[in-house]
Amino acid sequence: MDVTIVTRDGVRLGVACAEGQTVLAAAEEAGLYLPSMCREGSCGMCGAHVTGGAYEMGACADGALPKGEGGVLLCRCLALSDLEVEVEVRDEQIGRHRVPERRAVIAELAPAGAGALAVTLQLEADDTHGAAADFVPGQFFEMRLPGTEVRRAYSLANLPNWDGRLEFIIRLVPGGRFSGWLGAEARVGQVLELRGPMGHFALDEASPRPRVLVAGGCGVAPILSLLRHMAEFGDATQVHLIYGANREAEFLPPEILAAVKAALPQLEVTHAVWRPEAGWSGFSGNAAEALSAVLAQGGTMPDIYVCGPPRMLDTVAAAALAAGVPERQFFAERVQS
Amino acid sequence: MFCFQCEQTSRDGATAGCAGAKGVCGKDEVTADLQDLLVYELKGIGQYTHRLHKLGKPDAAADRFTLYALFTTLTNVNFNRARFTDMIAQAATIRDRVAKAYEVGAVAAGKVPAMLGAVAQYQPAGDLNGLLAQAPVASVRAGVETVGEDVIGLRALILYGLKGVAAYAHHAEVLGEEREEIYAGVAKALDFLAGNPTDIEALLGQALELGTLNYTVMETLDAANTGNFGTPTPTAVRITPVAGKCILVSGHDFGDLRAILEATKDQGINVYTHGEVLPAHAYPNLHAYPHLVGNYGSAWQNQQIEFAAFPGPIVMTSNCLIEPQPSYRNRIFTMGPVGWPGLRHLSHDDLGVLVQAAKATPGFAATAPEKQILIGFARDTVLGVAGTVVEAVKSGAVKHFFLIGGCDGAAPGRNYYTDFADNAPQDTVVLTLGCGKYRFNTHEFGTIGGLPRLLDVGQCNDTYSAIQIALALASAFNCGVNELPLTLVISWFEQKAAAVLLTLLALGVRNIRLGPSLPAFLTPNLLGVLVEKFGIQPVTEAKADIQAALTRAA
Repeated sequence: MDVTIVTRDGVRLGVACAEGQTVLAAAEEAGLYLPSMCREGSCGMCGAHVTGGAYEMGACADGALPKGEGGVLLCRCLALSDLEVEVEVRDEQIGRHRVPERRAVIAELAPAGAGALAVTLQLEADDTHGAAADFVPGQFFEMRLPGTEVRRAYSLANLPNWDGRLEFIIRLVPGGRFSGWLGAEARVGQVLELRGPMGHFALDEASPRPRVLVAGGCGVAPILSLLRHMAEFGDATQVHLIYGANREAEFLPPEILAAVKAALPQLEVTHAVWRPEAGWSGFSGNAAEALSAVLAQGGTMPDIYVCGPPRMLDTVAAAALAAGVPERQFFAERVQS
Repeated sequence: MFCFQCEQTSRDGATAGCAGAKGVCGKDEVTADLQDLLVYELKGIGQYTHRLHKLGKPDAAADRFTLYALFTTLTNVNFNRARFTDMIAQAATIRDRVAKAYEVGAVAAGKVPAMLGAVAQYQPAGDLNGLLAQAPVASVRAGVETVGEDVIGLRALILYGLKGVAAYAHHAEVLGEEREEIYAGVAKALDFLAGNPTDIEALLGQALELGTLNYTVMETLDAANTGNFGTPTPTAVRITPVAGKCILVSGHDFGDLRAILEATKDQGINVYTHGEVLPAHAYPNLHAYPHLVGNYGSAWQNQQIEFAAFPGPIVMTSNCLIEPQPSYRNRIFTMGPVGWPGLRHLSHDDLGVLVQAAKATPGFAATAPEKQILIGFARDTVLGVAGTVVEAVKSGAVKHFFLIGGCDGAAPGRNYYTDFADNAPQDTVVLTLGCGKYRFNTHEFGTIGGLPRLLDVGQCNDTYSAIQIALALASAFNCGVNELPLTLVISWFEQKAAAVLLTLLALGVRNIRLGPSLPAFLTPNLLGVLVEKFGIQPVTEAKADIQAALTRAA
């Protein structure tokens, strides 16, 4: 069967798909690495829409399937005829190379607000990739729990650099396999195996519109990377950060955002606390409510970048939709838990 | 957005040109509109600087800014809208300064300062939306409904030729070669365009005047290159990798290359040339750097594949940049007029990060078997053996010369140039320059009368050198250039080629084959004029065109 992959920017890519082969595997065989992560129908990263042809969807997790007619997960989608499939990424975001596998040493573990850890890794240089930490702000790496096949993906909070430093902000999920290990057993000097960078959550730098960045809890990590990128390149685009947390104590130490703001003077920040304690003077409510308040002020409909837990993404998406933000101006990344 | 300045412009609509959200080159409509506004401001600046030159009170900083700013608007140079909003603000400040200087200078000279019109008075809006709302006034097609397509086409020919002139003059300026007559000529052309000229004869006259100016500009650039780096000599250049850390330098700017070679001295980093930087190897003062090890890759349109595979940082010093793929976005840097949002821009004094990047990237793991190409047949070398060449022609060993020069590009029709070079008969010599040569410069051409049959003159920027060769041959044969057994087969892509074409026309060179397609801004009427006055011919099919050239010469 011939599968035509249509990118967000309208580029049509043809791949041959064998019987019983998933569209994702067929694309990779053709040298096109589409965003994917779990490859077992649960993370939702390889979501796409079939716009023509017959297909069969294998088992997948509730809620992982993209909404709308023809919504599929390419890692579970078998072609039964020639297919046309629309993917969420632009042509340039499709990898033409295999995702790098790297090793890194834990360089630093530090508290990052209540219930979270700031993790700094130092990449080991290797012959294929050298020493550099090469990624696009907004991307993530997948880490393997030592001695197991358990993998978790975490977004980078810093910027690409030639020193090989990777910085993450990781929520310590009670009972979480990886984060539980991280909180209790991980030590500076231990080696981790990584895959990455991956992901297509990135700034649309060609857009002339203002930006609203919405971070929920540890979803602030890639948002920080985007803001730091804007600061580094002197990007003067109007930008508003909505930083939501359940409790005030969960916010990152204030000096982190203060440093970003010093380098990005036009940055406006709204801290939104869902369950404020007495004396909280900022916005009371969740990130979606804070977004609605910002959008209600009028002006050019901004591009919206949001990263947080799944439920938060849904409420923020609903708030953006209700305010009339076109779908194409909405970029979301889910925090894995 | 409306842009039809390059060869690959969209020809799908009723009016040929890129008019959607994004041009074929990848330039988005915001950037395109901002470029139009910047050019509009430069015309206003030109109105004042033209008068300042006439008063003998030039503003050197304004003249240099004009060259640089025009260069940034060339195809595949700068895509960074933030850079254009900055330059638009900067241009307004400069315009105010030269306006004041003109007023003072005119009064001091006992003259009444002329009141200049809307272009000179333009005030850029303070924000992006405001600027975009102003953009229609600055469009290259503004006024078409009243002045007609021919006038718009000729204005475009002048503007694009001027962009080419500015690019060459900027390359010379950063190497320390500047001439008052160049700045005065650029200002005069901008002033001419600011007056919204409509007289066809006057427009044609200015176009040819620009061609003459460009001859001076190219001579100046030649002096800058040879003055800084010595006279090109025939040089074998390695085209396969050497094991070790590496940096790739693309674009055209030898000054940037020298700065990079200096910054990477004794650091265990090998430097490779890409695209139009290839001729650097033939200059003794650049060849002398032992870590300038070779040439990597081919012409600009293959960069996404070649850069992705290059295991080190890449520097783009001028055109042609195309959208960087994520796999190398963090390790491609821009210099000079070049820009892309999210790419780091380097100046000569902050090359430390480039060295750091070269050390942090893997480099070539192994040395590949050596392969070489021969370059460096610039004017001095060829004229040094002029006697041999003249003898070879007189004896009948060499029947004809083909100059196959200009830009490469992605269009399938560009195979024409490969076919042309490969099918040129064995008793003909092929001279080449520009990046179009990558289509055939590794092919076997053999020798003729003791000379290589393929002579690589250099960059597209070295057209001056090719003209000197033609003029010297004409002088040796005691005839005009048009009487020489020489055919020019030009492939054009961007605006420097427009400048070169105007120079050739100004010199009276006839019967040029131009392709792979003719400029979209030239209307059928204008093409008619070029055919009638200069015998310009579109390319057809390589073998037929070779035959036609040989028949005409016979």
